[in-house]
Amino acid sequence: MNISSSRPLLAPAGHYLLRLGGYSLLLHRRSMIVALFLSLLLVAVATWILAAGDDTLTPSKALQAAFGQGEALQVFLIQELRLPRLIAGLLSGAALGAAGCLLQTLARNRLATPGVIGIDNGATAFAVASIVAVPTSLAPSALALSGAATAAVLTFALAAGGGARGYRFIVVGIAIGALFGALTNLMLARSDMDAANAAYPWTVGSLNARPADSVLLLGIGLAVGLPLAKLLVNALSLMRFSDNVAIGLGVRLQRMRLLTLALCVWLTALAVAVVGPVGLIALAAPEMARHLGNRHGVPVLNAALSGALMMILADWLGRTLLAPIEIPVGIIAAVVGGPYLLWILLRQAPRSST
Amino acid sequence: MSICSQLQRTAATITTSLLLALPLHASERTLDSAYGPVTISGTVQRVVALGDSALDAALSLGVQPVGTLASRGGDDVPDYLKTTAGKITLVGSVREPNLEAILRLRPDLVLASSDLSRDLYAKLSLMAPTVVPAGNSFQDWRETYMTYAQALGKQEEGQQRLAEIEKRSAELRQRLPQGQAVSVVRWNPQGPVIMSSHLFVGQLLKDLGLRANELAAAQAQKPHSDVLSLENLSRINADWIFLATLNPDGRKALEDARKQPAFTRLSAVADGHVVTVDGQIWSSSSGYLAAQRVLDDVEKALLD
Amino acid sequence: MLAARLSVPQALSYAALCLLLLCVASLLLGAGDIGILPSLQALLGGSDDDARFIVFELRWVRTELALLVGLALGAAGVLLQAVTRNPLAEPGLLGVSAGASFAVVLAINLGASAASMHLGVAMLGALVGCVLVLLVTRMRGVGDDPVRLVLAGAAFSGILGALSSLLLLWDQRTADEMRFWVIGALAGRPLDTLDWSLPGLLGGLLMALLVVRPLAALALGERVASGLGHHPQLTRLGTLLAVAILVGTATAAAGPIAFIGLIVPYIARRLVGSDIRRTLGLSMLLGPCVLLLADVISRLLVRPYELPVGVVTAFVGAPILIAVVRNHRLPTL
Repeated sequence: MNISSSRPLLAPAGHYLLRLGGYSLLLHRRSMIVALFLSLLLVAVATWILAAGDDTLTPSKALQAAFGQGEALQVFLIQELRLPRLIAGLLSGAALGAAGCLLQTLARNRLATPGVIGIDNGATAFAVASIVAVPTSLAPSALALSGAATAAVLTFALAAGGGARGYRFIVVGIAIGALFGALTNLMLARSDMDAANAAYPWTVGSLNARPADSVLLLGIGLAVGLPLAKLLVNALSLMRFSDNVAIGLGVRLQRMRLLTLALCVWLTALAVAVVGPVGLIALAAPEMARHLGNRHGVPVLNAALSGALMMILADWLGRTLLAPIEIPVGIIAAVVGGPYLLWILLRQAPRSST
Repeated sequence: MSICSQLQRTAATITTSLLLALPLHASERTLDSAYGPVTISGTVQRVVALGDSALDAALSLGVQPVGTLASRGGDDVPDYLKTTAGKITLVGSVREPNLEAILRLRPDLVLASSDLSRDLYAKLSLMAPTVVPAGNSFQDWRETYMTYAQALGKQEEGQQRLAEIEKRSAELRQRLPQGQAVSVVRWNPQGPVIMSSHLFVGQLLKDLGLRANELAAAQAQKPHSDVLSLENLSRINADWIFLATLNPDGRKALEDARKQPAFTRLSAVADGHVVTVDGQIWSSSSGYLAAQRVLDDVEKALLD
Repeated sequence: MLAARLSVPQALSYAALCLLLLCVASLLLGAGDIGILPSLQALLGGSDDDARFIVFELRWVRTELALLVGLALGAAGVLLQAVTRNPLAEPGLLGVSAGASFAVVLAINLGASAASMHLGVAMLGALVGCVLVLLVTRMRGVGDDPVRLVLAGAAFSGILGALSSLLLLWDQRTADEMRFWVIGALAGRPLDTLDWSLPGLLGGLLMALLVVRPLAALALGERVASGLGHHPQLTRLGTLLAVAILVGTATAAAGPIAFIGLIVPYIARRLVGSDIRRTLGLSMLLGPCVLLLADVISRLLVRPYELPVGVVTAFVGAPILIAVVRNHRLPTL
């Protein structure tokens, strides 16, 4: 790949043009810088978190322990407890951030988080059911995944027919979500306190002791989904305008919509199966990405990076604030992310639409 | 775990077994838990008790755990165990056990409650043998208690404690008027929630010869019912109604209940046969110390 | 605008009829052991003590409460969707439900018990929640953009909800009580609930009546509205205040009952079109209809027990919403 600077006329201001064979990729300069910045920040924060809270650990020792060198207890701490947790946080945060970005673009409504269309609630309902209601040997994580899938399928099926601007899909999603939410409330009210406590992490979103196979699945899903999302970005950017403009510019609207939706559901389901419903990351991460970088684009990658950053920071805060009591990551995300979201909203000049 | 620590543990086990080859104390015991057989060797020094029942069992057998979970009170151990527990490190809450805090205590045995999730079990069992009693809250509480006793290597003391409870029950049964009907409920503004008579408290009351409420007896699957409609409040009428509250001040719950006209129409209320009891003990914990308290409450209510 | 299916008087009379039938059903049906005939007799002045107690002291109060709460939520839903021009908007999003819940959590935490919860506490929380959101919207012109207003409200709800969860993490006793309150129920409310809620309802409705015409004008665009002599900013503010009072009252009376404010506007719009002057009155009748339906069902499903009505509204409301949305072009706001 070479950065083609000999023909600057082809790249609009503030962009780089990359060429490989017959393909070219247009990169927004500021977005790239932000992506780089976020990546570096992410690595730094992740390393710092690995060592934080323990007087005997320094970041370098923590990294060594990650590879099995050092005192037995420290190695156990890092390898079995902290590293898996960190990885789970990074991956789920990234997936949620990306999914949120996709859905907001698709719906042209910044309220449309994946949680709004019922996926979170479906996952929670199934996971809680596995703990308090239905005796089953399936792990709550697996059930969360099937719950998310069920909710998505139901919504797809019931909203069939497309409808103007994909509105119908969101409204049906809200209905399905409310159904599952009510189901969860009912199950929790009928169970005894101890079972309700055991199900609690799944209702607020928690990274405590997440099973490795769900995280692995999430990792694979993200590795496939994120590049796919990036490929769709061009079409998505055009879909931010009205339908007619998009069609006029050659976007195959229905197909794009379906694909984007499927991708969004895919990423969210996998993330929720790991961490539970942490809706605010999907809401705030794209905002943060837009705030830092390209205001008018579809910053999927930056949203993913922001999401990952937010998730691990929220988790760290939750573990540290009231130690040894752990505050689940979902609660911290809302308490801290909420004001941040408000701050972003206030700082931006009013616009007439997203 | 790394090879190093694996070797360390094996060495420790072998050494311990050799050293304590004398007959009495050193048993390597394997017991059945909800997640498979668990092997524990030697006397355990550092026990972490996750949950009320586990803590109750450990304390009643003379073992002082090094760590436990903050449960009911939210930031402390249950009231009825507070003095016996003394100063004990908290390792998280019932909803989110803090694995790092547990690790820091370097336990050699973890006693958990029967609803510990598989994921948490997977992590905990890497640190120390973890015992999760099989069954759920419908299990005979004595079996759960003995599981803990076995894990602690204190089977004989465990049997003794259970015998004490049986003896006291039998003696109390003699003194109680026969065939009295009892309802155990949790009060809720929308209506009472009926506790199943097949749980810990129900099992104790049955041994005392007290008849359970028919709705409570029908609760064989769920620990408690849905909210009973206020239109049907007469169904909880009995010779004695035990009102379990999570508020240590039971008076308030009683006052709230009295605000409902349907409640004051019950004959038990008119006769003054409504007793408030500590919900921490009556609606979920189980164990020797809890059993003693339940018997105390019944004795005080029915005989004074 | 979508051609209306029914004329307003038609729709109103159908809705009123429905409501009457449901009220009667609510008085005659229930989880209790008494049958329909004895209930009817008691209603007409019979002398069976038990039946009279159940019909008049339990079911009557419940029905009245359902009317009040349903009315408040239905009206609030229509107003909110009109002012935000966003059919995803729901009264809970303004931070009002979350504010009320948080206030209740706080109060229980500090020693009160859910049953003796003074309505004032929840109402206060609701209003404070809404005022905070309003303050935010006044700053830097966020108020001009309905989407961002709702987004701000969603963020606030999220924060308050999380703070509530934080408190509940700390205090298990409160958590146990909140578990039931947070679902919303019409049964077992203190007997003076109606005395307290009626002023709130009336105040909210008064505000609503004041802003109906300006809102209808606003739907044609801000310039048109100003040209007609209305003040867009004031209109929005007034509407939000009305919503806050109405939802605050409803939440204080019965706990958070989430779905009604979302689906009633859809049904109303489907029946008579988008003009708020037509949908407001209809929603005030449809709200109690849906709520009473849910309440009656909640009494009959698990006799002799009852399900909390907040759960049943979702099970009743969701299919209705899906049915309404499915087969027709959605009328734009």
